[in-house]
Amino acid sequence: MSWTPPKLIHIPRRTVFSLIIINKAGGLIYNKTFHEGGLNKISTNDYLVLAGTFHGVHAITARLNPVKPVATPPTPGTNELPGRPEPSSGLEVLETENFRMQCFNTLTGTKFLLFTETTQTNVDVTIKRIYDLYADYVMKNPFYSLEMPIRCDIFDRKLLSYIREINNR
Amino acid sequence: MVVYSFYIFDRHTECVYVKSWMPAQSPGTAPVLSTSSDDAKLVFGTVFSLRNMVRKLGGDDDAFISYRTGQYKLHFYETPANLRFVMVTDTGSASMRNVLHQIYINLWVEYVVKNPLAPVEHKGGAGVNNELFELGLDQFIRGMM
Repeated sequence: MSWTPPKLIHIPRRTVFSLIIINKAGGLIYNKTFHEGGLNKISTNDYLVLAGTFHGVHAITARLNPVKPVATPPTPGTNELPGRPEPSSGLEVLETENFRMQCFNTLTGTKFLLFTETTQTNVDVTIKRIYDLYADYVMKNPFYSLEMPIRCDIFDRKLLSYIREINNR
Repeated sequence: MVVYSFYIFDRHTECVYVKSWMPAQSPGTAPVLSTSSDDAKLVFGTVFSLRNMVRKLGGDDDAFISYRTGQYKLHFYETPANLRFVMVTDTGSASMRNVLHQIYINLWVEYVVKNPLAPVEHKGGAGVNNELFELGLDQFIRGMM
């Protein structure tokens, strides 16, 4: 009787690697790694360069839009003017062999970049929740000056416990 | 699935081939502001920056596959000789990496590399825009749409 190797059950790992927040001028204001080994370690200076580069690329990707935006037609029977066309969004999801990056651009131009495993699901929910935490614990902090690096203990703690919950699921 | 455009960049970062499958502009709409050569430069800048960013973060063996915006999706494939293939499609399409790979083996290698009349370097697109390659590519893309 021949021996058959036991089937390996593949459990997709769901890991959030790191979070980067870029202000509306393209400066890096927050950078946190949650899982070592997912991404290469790079220096803070490289992170600053990366944030600036991404800011520029994001603007170009919005401009490259091949679909011409169409204005919403006015409701028939009323005297309304046609609505403004929806502005084209820039890069939203970037896929590579080793990771996946989701970008959330807020209305004021702050960008949240979340680096995750390629198989990660529900990243938009996660990123919206992080935005909530940012609104609650960074924007409502009276000692935080706008567009400056985020140094808020309570934001760090809440974020860490939220991400740990996801990574240990 | 809709394919909007397709670009090939050589190892000297020059755009050697560009083709667009955009529907003809209706007379009522505003004229397109940019020319396709401007667009090719922007596309190259984007994929070049993203590729470098990805390799810095994911390691040297990592490869940038695609990115998606709210309106379109851009697919990227790079051969070991730094020949870069880029395809812009609608957001709903699946990964086009093997499609780009197929274009490389079945069309580029067959009709451009094996063509004895084509130069080694394709300056200004010389040797790429031959009939067989054009026809094969157009048929291949239209077959997918």
